[in-house]
Amino acid sequence: MKNVLAIAKREIRSSFNSPVAYAVILGFLVFTGVYLYFIRGFYAVGQADLRAYFGLMPVVLAFLVPALTMRSWAEERRLGTYELLLTLPFSETELVIGKFLSSFALAALAIALTLPVPLMASLLGSFDTGILFTQYLGVLLEAATAVAIGEWISSLAKNQVSAFIGSVLVLLALVLVDRVSSFLGSGGIVAALLNWLSLSFHFDSFSRGVVDSRDLAYYLSAQAFFLYLSGWSLMRRKWS
Amino acid sequence: MRGVSFAAETGSVLGLLGPNGAGKTTIMKVLTGYHFPSSGTAIVDGVDVSEDPIAVKRRVGYLPESVPLYQDLTVAEYLDFAADARALEGPGRKAAIDRAVSACGLSGVYRKRVEELSKGYKQRLGLAQAILHDPPILILDEPTTGLDPNQIIEIRELIRSLGQSKTVILSTHILQEVEAICSSVIILNEGRVAAQGSPAEIGETLKGEERIRLRVKSAQAEVDRQLLSGIAGLRSVASIESEGSGVWTAEISMPPAAAGSLEAGEAVFDWAVSRGLKLLELERRRLSLEEIFVKLTQEGEGR
Repeated sequence: MKNVLAIAKREIRSSFNSPVAYAVILGFLVFTGVYLYFIRGFYAVGQADLRAYFGLMPVVLAFLVPALTMRSWAEERRLGTYELLLTLPFSETELVIGKFLSSFALAALAIALTLPVPLMASLLGSFDTGILFTQYLGVLLEAATAVAIGEWISSLAKNQVSAFIGSVLVLLALVLVDRVSSFLGSGGIVAALLNWLSLSFHFDSFSRGVVDSRDLAYYLSAQAFFLYLSGWSLMRRKWS
Repeated sequence: MRGVSFAAETGSVLGLLGPNGAGKTTIMKVLTGYHFPSSGTAIVDGVDVSEDPIAVKRRVGYLPESVPLYQDLTVAEYLDFAADARALEGPGRKAAIDRAVSACGLSGVYRKRVEELSKGYKQRLGLAQAILHDPPILILDEPTTGLDPNQIIEIRELIRSLGQSKTVILSTHILQEVEAICSSVIILNEGRVAAQGSPAEIGETLKGEERIRLRVKSAQAEVDRQLLSGIAGLRSVASIESEGSGVWTAEISMPPAAAGSLEAGEAVFDWAVSRGLKLLELERRRLSLEEIFVKLTQEGEGR
């Protein structure tokens, strides 16, 4: 555990010593804020309902998270620090989890900084904090899953740019795949499978304020699966 | 790597010498658990690297060739991370950092960011990271590249003193470095051991001869092997070429200069005078490292 924290601490320090993390988080906040107030016309609608705001989150996170995870392994390899990490007394599991935690911490920070939005909305009328809590839980789970995927793609990518583009494409595909199923008509096994794969499909119930154990299981197992793949890609490099 | 086998003892500095691509770095990557060997074993301090890599990594301090530094951290933060990674705690932690900082002369840049450091300081920071936890085994891949001559002397001094109580394995392509700090040497070429022994033994092989290129003008006689064999102490003739109009170029090898005997140049001069030849040029040629390696590998195959 100490090793995991050592890895995560180093990672977060590096992030905040460079302007990239600030810029990415600021960009995220500006975009989601602009979307809510101008595009959705939040005040014009006159309802203290943030479902549309949270409904957008899977798509926004498909851009935010790759911006946070792209450096992860790809940058280590460019700097040569990859060799340092793998020759320090860390296990592959510790490395993968430490990296995951640090990127997730940044994503969680960005998400926490959106809290003023519902707080301001609460001034407009009565507000269900239970639903809000569920919505934030959903966003955090969604973000953690995206981080696990982004970390894995960064462990395969040659450089930051390809890690970013690859992660955005994979995440967008996973977010939007349930739209395809709506063309296929409901009830078919293919449609069910596509829905099951989709990140936004599982996010949907959270944004309505419902915690479904199937959705929880989906997110947690997806995280475990992609963390395992990252560890596997570290091990594979040792033999090549 | 093919059939490379060696052992390094505590209290010794083992040098791996070889041209780029000879396999020095590969050996180090196997010893540090970065790469698994496809066959064969590496045992560090009694532990098999592929069986318990973490235990090996704890005992080893490693400076890779591509000095691995986080550019956006300060020197202090970087060493703090290394101390975390080495699980250094309590009063020993600060002492270890102070010791490494002073041994590598980093106190002047302690608060600076890594990206602002000169190449020499970066190299020293990499070394500080490797010695931070006072490991019994130090593996240093080209530790003196990028340093200026004064720094090279300091770092060599440091490595030599570390080598008294530890096992140090370092790689280099600089011959003097081996002579200056190593107690034993392995010369690698194309993944094979070309020579192995103490620097004195290897030095004999490396400096076993002097190459001399000469241009002479001969009025009558043809300059051939027969004629050249009149040079006192001549070992062999590498080449003879005629340039026309009685001018000849030859390359010969002579024994190394020893006390009491003629210097190679003197011998050639005396020979030219005694045969009535005019010496136009006389040049001592140093064997390049590459030529030495070629020579060593060819000898290795002949054995």
